[in-house]
Amino acid sequence: MSADLAYLGLAEAAELIRAKKLSPVEYATALLARIEHHDSKYNAFIALTPERALKAARAAEAEITAGRWRGPFHGMPYALKDIIDVESLPTTAHSKILIGNIARRHAVVTERLEAAGGVLLGKLSTHEFAIGGPSFDLPWPPARNPWNRDHFCGGSSSGSGAGLAAGFFSAALGTDTGGSIRNPASMCGTTGMKPTYGRVSRRGVAPLAFSLDHVGPMTRTVRDNALMLQVIAGHDPSDPGSADESVPDYGALLGLDVRGLRIGVIRHFYTKDVVGNPEQVEALDDAVKLLAEAGAEISEIILPALQDFSACGQIILAAEAYAVHEQWLKERPEDYGARARERLLAGATLRAVDYLQAVRWRLQLRDRVAAAFANIDLAITASSMDPACRIDDEEALASNYWRQARMPFNVTGQPGLVIPAGFSNGGLPLSLQLVGHPFGEAMLYRVAQFYEDATGWTKRHPPALSE
Amino acid sequence: MTEELRDKARTLGLDRLTAEHLKQFERATTGMERQLQRLPHGMPTAQEPAHVYRAKGDTQ
Repeated sequence: MSADLAYLGLAEAAELIRAKKLSPVEYATALLARIEHHDSKYNAFIALTPERALKAARAAEAEITAGRWRGPFHGMPYALKDIIDVESLPTTAHSKILIGNIARRHAVVTERLEAAGGVLLGKLSTHEFAIGGPSFDLPWPPARNPWNRDHFCGGSSSGSGAGLAAGFFSAALGTDTGGSIRNPASMCGTTGMKPTYGRVSRRGVAPLAFSLDHVGPMTRTVRDNALMLQVIAGHDPSDPGSADESVPDYGALLGLDVRGLRIGVIRHFYTKDVVGNPEQVEALDDAVKLLAEAGAEISEIILPALQDFSACGQIILAAEAYAVHEQWLKERPEDYGARARERLLAGATLRAVDYLQAVRWRLQLRDRVAAAFANIDLAITASSMDPACRIDDEEALASNYWRQARMPFNVTGQPGLVIPAGFSNGGLPLSLQLVGHPFGEAMLYRVAQFYEDATGWTKRHPPALSE
Repeated sequence: MTEELRDKARTLGLDRLTAEHLKQFERATTGMERQLQRLPHGMPTAQEPAHVYRAKGDTQ
């Protein structure tokens, strides 16, 4: 299989499929063969579903041949983080706890991707229950970074990030409670959107922390990300957190420049609150300079300290996650991996008043951020403070949880989009994060597309896999 | 491993934790104590929490 087909984008593949120049069956077959050949080195998948995929691809091909093209996702291979339900398939959450758990119905996001004609290739590795990891004491090994398999690929949507970078698929779903879409996007040089809280249904997705959980698209390019969000966004009355807001055309602003846009830089997150790796800081400074030279109006904005968002978010996360896991922690603590068990036990001694004070504080933080955003169209800041560390570096892995600027936007619920922003001297991806107003995802895509076109970072692929 | 820690876990219903698990429990709760110290003091008494109960059937 040529690297061209492996790294074909969703938008390009959709055009070829619609024009009947690319067969969904051949495309899925080629990707499945690539996964079979390479994934033993990267562990992106927990379970491949080739028979199901080829059946769906044949059905898509027949419909398209008969002139019934459903849209850009028709015949498109994709994969799901294994905390998202697919009817009749196991949902394991990468945990011994859920072995034998078969989903009775699709998650709403699965329904939407299937209705759009998607071709599910399989279920992807995650940190256990989207919280522990990377772990070597679970029934499946942790995913590895395709840019250097000795390095961490981020998490918890680790298989989604790794599989995209490896050219196994062009579209996947991840989930993000404290940064779990944006972290693997940062580590793997891919594109990850944590949409506005409530934008995408969570029904049928294993919960971690109810008020912080988000589902979102992970792709290699901005355009592909917008296409996938278009498919999954929308109100779901069965999800109590779902927002009854209209869904705009996420591609509407793609191709526009950034002249006159007011972009706030949240620099203190990565230069003062936490001091970022110099290469990462330089990449962010270069991105801001590029946008300024292209006509954006740049100003620095000040938010509460990163550590305040982190504390508020961690208290809420710990309390809500403990509510989900309490019974298993009491009855089957030995069935968790060490990392997940330790992180989940953090909620055991929290008092009701601690949780309530945190959710009261949350509104104060949200309001202060809203005030700082009043006169800007969007903001730019760091996602990760460092390139991916080695997967066996315990100290660096531990610091990965706090050397990041993602949790603020789980706390506020605003959309955050992470895109590649260059490479370290060691050849590992660097990244940036764009942050919008609630339901302002289209604006983030506009600026991200402009930056992607100007820099070409997404055209690079891991050398070991791109030949 | 102190008996105090084991008793604390038992009080919470976590009586199946092994010695290794109890070490993790101690690290986790110590880390959480540090986060709790950042909670603000003196919030206005009328400051509402982020999630408010709504009666079923209300206009959302």
